[in-house]
Amino acid sequence: MSSGSANGADGDPAGHHAPPAWADGPYSIKRHGTSLTHCDSEPIQAPGCIQAHGALLTARLADLRVLQASENTPRYLGVPAEQLLGQPLAGLLDAADLSRLNEMLAHDRLEGNALYAFTHAARGGLPALDVCAHTVDGALVLEFETVGPSASALRHPGGDFFTLVRSAVSRMQGTIGLLPFCEQVAAEVRHITGLDRVMVYRFHADLHGEVVAESKLDSLAPWLGLHYPEADIPKPARDIYMRIWIRPLPDATAPLVEMLPLANPDTGRPLTMTHCSLRGASVMYTEYLQNMGVAASLTMPILIEGHLWGLIACHHGTPTLFPHPMRAACELLAQVASLQLKSAERIEQMDWQLKVENIQQKLVTKAAREGDLLALSDRQPSLLDAMAGAAGAALYHMGRWWCAGNTPSEVQLDSLAEWLNERPEFDSSTRPVFATDALSSLYPGGAEIVDLASGVIAVQVSRLRHDLIMWFRPQTLQTIRWAGNPNDKPLVPGPHGMRLTPRRSFELFLQSVRERSLPWTQIEIDLALRLRLLVMDLVSSAGEKLTELNIDLVSSNEELDAFAYVASHDLKEPLRGIHRYAWQVLDSAGSLEPENRARMDSLMRLALRMDSLLDSLLHFSRVGRTTLEFEWVDLNEVVADALEMVGVRSSDDACSIVFERPLPSAMCDVVRVREIYSNLISNAVKYNQSARPRIEIGYLLSEEPGERPLAPPDAAGQTIYFVRDNGIGIEERHFDQVFRMFKRLHPQSNFGGGVGAGLTVVKKVVSRHGGVVWLSSAPGEGSNFYFTLPYGLRAAQIEVTDAEPGQAGVPT
Amino acid sequence: MSRTQHVLIVEDNDDDFETAVEAARRSGVINRLDRAVSGSACLEMLGASAQQPGPLPALVLLDLNMPSEDGRDALRLIRNDERLACVPLVVLSASANPRDVQFAYTSGVNAYHVKPVNHASHLGILQKIFDYWLVDILLPTQRSLKPS
Repeated sequence: MSSGSANGADGDPAGHHAPPAWADGPYSIKRHGTSLTHCDSEPIQAPGCIQAHGALLTARLADLRVLQASENTPRYLGVPAEQLLGQPLAGLLDAADLSRLNEMLAHDRLEGNALYAFTHAARGGLPALDVCAHTVDGALVLEFETVGPSASALRHPGGDFFTLVRSAVSRMQGTIGLLPFCEQVAAEVRHITGLDRVMVYRFHADLHGEVVAESKLDSLAPWLGLHYPEADIPKPARDIYMRIWIRPLPDATAPLVEMLPLANPDTGRPLTMTHCSLRGASVMYTEYLQNMGVAASLTMPILIEGHLWGLIACHHGTPTLFPHPMRAACELLAQVASLQLKSAERIEQMDWQLKVENIQQKLVTKAAREGDLLALSDRQPSLLDAMAGAAGAALYHMGRWWCAGNTPSEVQLDSLAEWLNERPEFDSSTRPVFATDALSSLYPGGAEIVDLASGVIAVQVSRLRHDLIMWFRPQTLQTIRWAGNPNDKPLVPGPHGMRLTPRRSFELFLQSVRERSLPWTQIEIDLALRLRLLVMDLVSSAGEKLTELNIDLVSSNEELDAFAYVASHDLKEPLRGIHRYAWQVLDSAGSLEPENRARMDSLMRLALRMDSLLDSLLHFSRVGRTTLEFEWVDLNEVVADALEMVGVRSSDDACSIVFERPLPSAMCDVVRVREIYSNLISNAVKYNQSARPRIEIGYLLSEEPGERPLAPPDAAGQTIYFVRDNGIGIEERHFDQVFRMFKRLHPQSNFGGGVGAGLTVVKKVVSRHGGVVWLSSAPGEGSNFYFTLPYGLRAAQIEVTDAEPGQAGVPT
Repeated sequence: MSRTQHVLIVEDNDDDFETAVEAARRSGVINRLDRAVSGSACLEMLGASAQQPGPLPALVLLDLNMPSEDGRDALRLIRNDERLACVPLVVLSASANPRDVQFAYTSGVNAYHVKPVNHASHLGILQKIFDYWLVDILLPTQRSLKPS
């Protein structure tokens, strides 16, 4: 790979407990080396050494005198490094080149930005040298690189890189989709550079890498699809790729060349070589390349929104130079790739997200239509389709599991769910989701299901019922395959052993992902949360529907009420007219024949009867719908009021009202219960032909011994209230009819002519109190009406035990 | 009660107005009976009375539920008019709807009666109303509570 160092534990000949060489004083990678244990902190930006294919000078910006020189200056500049120190650059460079340099220093942004300055002409057996200049830490850095044969020069003798890049970019822009684009990038870079292998290497969320596109010589084994552990490109290397656009390494086998002195004499600090293309490479990297049979490499980072998305990594089997125009072309392609990838990736993500959201919507619509969450689990699409990157899905609902794809067994799911339901993640008010790519590291039972559920996303859709939705991913081992054998050529590994080889690297990667799944992306987690919200909406909308129905019911009750009044008003208007005309006829026409007079009387009576019927209907419809108000009521007072309403006085000689004992208090609606008594008493008086009607009013406690006459089962355990009379009695076959609306057992003219609504109202009021009403009677033997009022008592008990307000009112 | 004060009967139904006239006759009411057939007509007439120096009605008898124009609006507007604050306002309506009753009293009527179907009762109620509001009670001599 592009940088093959690692912090693996094996094969470390340097002894991994020694402090690193850079802990004290200026460091030279050549002199001090590095080790597998320390390469994660290796100062690769200031290695103290350069590569051998060029020379490097630093000069004080203030006077352009040489501060440091690479020890190989004799080979390229013909002067030993020691002799160059302190000398003015003017003594070394042609006047034209020097003035070009001064011009650049005056006008160009050179800080951390290496630009081609001029070509140092060949002289006296010394090669021609391309010179790049940039400034860093108050010093001018000049890099002298040989101009020589290169793979690209062989392929493009004319070297018109501008035209090459232009057509490459247009071909790249012609591709659709992320992977085709990456393939095109690899092909174009290989076309321009002429290198043996060009790969697009992508970092995953856990920073391990994967070769996602490759263009190579047919004779080389494919590396496409290979994964590499995070450690293969250690953090210092990743950091540096955030700051440079290209990294050339023309000869991995060449020796390193040390700077003289190692530290800048003005600052005492080593030269920061981040932007030097000559920067010396870590021995870890060069050894890795050599172990792979690679002699030269060229690497360009792909940055998306300041984040290292991946690398374009080029390998060549033999050392080769990377001339400036070709490097510029590659830089440009890498930048274009970065920009294009950003939108390609976004489009692909959005497509994917839309697709999954669409599936989720379908699922939820289906569940809503079928009125059941179970619709999420069966048929197509299923929950599994709602999470494209999952291998299995499970829904816990109605106390059982519904699975799709590869999932643990129900027993395993049970214990996992039990463990999950205790997770603090579900308490989060913003993101109540549990997601892991290493379940076995958190959950004790996870080890036995790594093949099915190393990765888990879980959301709770009902806290109360512990309803869960889960998606599973197997451990990565199951999903990643060798894309070919990279070790097709036997190699003799370098001093650090087999660790620095692709196969070992891949094995290490596999080790690092043992019992781990591919991590869930932010988008996947968001999708899980989204589905949870959709499902909860669904569940709560069922609840809301009930609430709405209740509201509808309340308002429809109010509307019914209003309607009843309007209806009664509208029906009464003509009645008033009829009554008035009949009355006026009778009033004015004194000479009316008796027969017609009777007819007029009849007309008036019928109108009035119609009027009372309407009143009764109205009253009855309200009895059924208005809310009862429960309170403790002294029934003695209620009965006294009822007697007065009916116009009966217990002191009357005409009628005797008997109380065996004072009545108890009851929890009930006083107005309604007064209606029970007034109706029963009124009937007792009305349907009575005795010389002296006798009405007995009393009650039987449930625990009292004695007869509970004909009590229906519903009255068990209840206090029974009764009203007894010595009236005409009722035949048993009429017992049910007496409670029917407008059902009269006698002609209207007899017994004072009610409308036949009284007992209907009684029955309604009793049932609104949760009670039952019944009677015992026989013709000529009087009637006994019994009723119970359990609701109020129950409401009172609830109130006492729970001390909760609002329980006493029984809604309509 | 001053005989110069008239009674305003707001009633769209001719028969019911006739019944009111008959009741007034039976009660020996000597006041002039004016009729408005709608809430707006009532407001016009009252507005005119209020602006003129003459007396205000001794009683406004109002039917709430008139099909064309709602007696409710008239009721509200009358009670919002300071100049008419002392005019007794009695509702005689066919509606026994508790909402109507509630509305009428909260809007400031002095009494609410339901028109019965029984014509004799209807006449009786009207006679009671006239007897009470035109004979028994005492009205302020000033047009409003505002001291003048």
